[in-house]
Amino acid sequence: MGFSVALTPENLFWCFVGVFLGTVVGILPGLGPAATIAMLLPLTFKMDHTAAIIMLAGIYYGSKYGGSTTSILLNVPGESASVVTCLDGYQMARQGRAGPALGISAIASFVAGTVGVIGLMLIAPPVARFALRFGPPEYFALMALGLTMVVFLAGKSMIKGLLAMLVGLWLAGVGTDLFTAESRFTFGQMELLDGIDFVVVSIGIFAVAEVLVNMESRGGTELFKVPRGIRNLMPTLKDLKDCRFAFLNGSVIGFLIGVLPGAGSTIASFLSYGAEKAFSRYPEKFGTGVIEGVAAPEGANNSETGGALVPLLTLGIPGSNATAILLAALILWGIKPGPLLIQDNPGLFWGLVTSMYVGNVMLLVLNLPLVPLFAQILRVPYFVLYPGILGISIVGVYSVSNSLFDVWMLGLFGLLGYAMRKLDFPAAPLVLGMVLGDGLERALRQSLMMSEGRLSVLITRPLSAAMICVALAILIMPLVNKVRSFRVKAVEQDV
Amino acid sequence: MSEKKELLSGICLGSFGVYVAFEALKLPYVSEFGPGPGFFPLWIGIGLTLLSLLLIVANLFGSTAPENSKSQSRTAIGRALVGWSGLMLAIGLLHWLGFGLSLALLAAFLVLALEKRSPWVAISVAFGLALGFHAIFVLALGLSLPAGPWGF
Amino acid sequence: MKRSWCCLLLITSGFVLSGAGGIAHAAAFEPTKPIEAVVHTGPGGGSDIFARAIAELMQKEKIIAQRLQVVNKSGGGSAVAMSYLAEKKGDTHTIGFFTGVWITNPLTTMEAKTTIADLTPIVRLVLEPAVFAVKADLPYKTMKDFIEAAKKNPNQLKQSGGSVTGRDNLVRLVVQKATGAKWVFVSFPSGGERIANLLGGHVEAMVIEPQEAGEHIRAGNMRVIAALTDKRLPSFPNVPTLKEQGVNVPVIPQARGILAPPGVPKEVVQYWEGIFDRFAKSANWKQYVEHNQFEDGYLKGPGLNKFFDDLTVQMREVLKEAGAKVVR
Repeated sequence: MGFSVALTPENLFWCFVGVFLGTVVGILPGLGPAATIAMLLPLTFKMDHTAAIIMLAGIYYGSKYGGSTTSILLNVPGESASVVTCLDGYQMARQGRAGPALGISAIASFVAGTVGVIGLMLIAPPVARFALRFGPPEYFALMALGLTMVVFLAGKSMIKGLLAMLVGLWLAGVGTDLFTAESRFTFGQMELLDGIDFVVVSIGIFAVAEVLVNMESRGGTELFKVPRGIRNLMPTLKDLKDCRFAFLNGSVIGFLIGVLPGAGSTIASFLSYGAEKAFSRYPEKFGTGVIEGVAAPEGANNSETGGALVPLLTLGIPGSNATAILLAALILWGIKPGPLLIQDNPGLFWGLVTSMYVGNVMLLVLNLPLVPLFAQILRVPYFVLYPGILGISIVGVYSVSNSLFDVWMLGLFGLLGYAMRKLDFPAAPLVLGMVLGDGLERALRQSLMMSEGRLSVLITRPLSAAMICVALAILIMPLVNKVRSFRVKAVEQDV
Repeated sequence: MSEKKELLSGICLGSFGVYVAFEALKLPYVSEFGPGPGFFPLWIGIGLTLLSLLLIVANLFGSTAPENSKSQSRTAIGRALVGWSGLMLAIGLLHWLGFGLSLALLAAFLVLALEKRSPWVAISVAFGLALGFHAIFVLALGLSLPAGPWGF
Repeated sequence: MKRSWCCLLLITSGFVLSGAGGIAHAAAFEPTKPIEAVVHTGPGGGSDIFARAIAELMQKEKIIAQRLQVVNKSGGGSAVAMSYLAEKKGDTHTIGFFTGVWITNPLTTMEAKTTIADLTPIVRLVLEPAVFAVKADLPYKTMKDFIEAAKKNPNQLKQSGGSVTGRDNLVRLVVQKATGAKWVFVSFPSGGERIANLLGGHVEAMVIEPQEAGEHIRAGNMRVIAALTDKRLPSFPNVPTLKEQGVNVPVIPQARGILAPPGVPKEVVQYWEGIFDRFAKSANWKQYVEHNQFEDGYLKGPGLNKFFDDLTVQMREVLKEAGAKVVR
């Protein structure tokens, strides 16, 4: 029944408008789907409700497709979830493999996005009920698990990775404490009361720092070599084969994380990247331009959108900023989101779900041909590109909250990122710490508030205990490996 | 060579860690149930200090990290810092001159000072970028960017 | 060569003159350009949606010729928005949408230097009622039941809510003080998490707005045990108020209304009062208020000033007793 709703010319048109806008919004750093949806709300008052939600949802999941573009080409995270894509994606671009990177990103997004929709369609209610069992202790365990990803992101020096992560955790703590309304590390600045925006930090440390590093030497007119011929601008069959696991990994992790209110696509992409690296045959190559390192996180942040719609449509609970606005939209139109939404508005629900299939196909068709086009951006002489990247960074940061203070911070974090590059500190753990720090601290304090100060609550509940075990296992792993290699060396020396 | 880097980072981060811990002690360590606002920052500060010491110590006994073959020439860093100062200056001008002009000035500065190309190239890049950004972001997308007295 | 210099000179002087001309504009009480409507939340937040809805309704009713342009100045609760308004002293084309946090924020946050007294009140539009809800499968059918249970087992029951200085917690504090019951408050930054934790059984109760609760009640997951207002709510005619249940506490209002920057001339204030007068009487607005289950709280002039003063005093007291750090 849903397809008959989704395939009407009117709904198809609005679906296209939505996904197109979403792609554009995703490409632009800083400007996110939440703000765009909010801005377009007034226009939807006069529209048919189903068409309107199809369009707005299109913006939401469409934006996840575009986010990887600037991450791969310019090391500018287009969206907070795309930070992880910068790690391997940008390296691939430097090696002349920007095309395959962009292509696999679109394909992974399509596969995972579609899996997300299938999940939404088939298992939404039971998954939503399962998600309700996640209270603060489980969130803490999940965040702790996320932090253990530092093991996979630290690169050569674990100490430096941990140090970077601690700085990230500190950055997350800047602002007003939720529980006591005390301000921490705000240096008397009103703009810091809400903390430091993640976009400012990520664009500063990745994009601006990269530009600064490249400014060190005068080079030729072309940035990276861009191979000619369409064959070299698309992922090969071998690439697709290599990414089989990544597609699965991204889809599942993204969807499950998306269902949890409050856990976002950034966490999903980090976990997915870590899982991919953990189960890979060549983990040491991650960070140097491995295509799975692009496929996994990009898939994760797409199926996360399907997951985030689960609590919204089955319980009336928004899981993230963008879904919160979708919720507000539904209320404004007089539709009551809640457990009875599907019962009361089957046309809307099924129309929306099937339109998401259609939307994902549209996005694949839109994005794939654009890949060779985008790859040409790298041909622009870099003395035009660098001010351009700086300009995009400023626009991206300013568009988040119209604050010049944020732009100053961008400059500062750019310098920090540069210093980190010179001193060989990995940037990813810092970003990881910053993303998870808030949630980690909050979840711990909430858990202790709820259990009257008993720490054991984290272990007595089965879900959180399970995740903590996995986290511990991940932490012990490198130590075990080191001991093992030590022993091997010792044995070899003996022989 | 690279030991100097590690020592420098160690000292910087170590002192930062001490500062964080110090500030954190001013905040309540415990609240009604469980950690207060000072709890996490304190441990972060302690963690930073300890790990920094570890970093310094690990490198006093010779560097285990691979020798960095890239030369950290003063000129290279200098160029980057010049570029960075240009960026900060442009950010400062955003309020007075608006985004379009500030970007144009930044672009011109980078092309002239760092790339040492001809003024004509500088002006055309500056103009082109400013125009392009205005067209895409302000006109087509309706974002509001800092505007100077002339509206752009 | 000379000609291009002449051209350059002409163009530059043209810019300078037009720039200078653009800076000075006549202060009028008939707006001549779009109005900036400042809200303290980001896009999609409560105030943002409220302001956008009003802007839309104003367009529909054709009450005002100029557009209301919503400007998001989020940060530090209401601190950034209030400070922004304070800086726009005398600006006749800017208004702000206030809520309760505009009064409480400066009381507890040192960095929030602008207080409600610094700004020019125009009108109070609505009062947002709230109800006290528990998970449906719990044995508490009335507020009394909950309070008894809390007294018997102090700090065992839990309430989810927002910031500790927000209404959710303030209600808890005044009820605790009046009844001697004690239960824990757990902060969650987003409404979604608060509801999810209640539905998941991780907390027992929460303060929630009737329109948010509606669907969950209909599905049988939530039960409302008290109306946190002066009179019973039309949408919940069978739910007694706190006073009716013997809990004698002041009602903590959550008001929404309009302010202007400081130093705005009297004619402009009167103009805005006139506009919102007409707006509040319009059918579309009344429908919006009903649909969102707001209470009509229209108030202006000296009554409004008294409201702010009284509220500030009340909030300061409540916060002090709660043990929150009051800095002003």
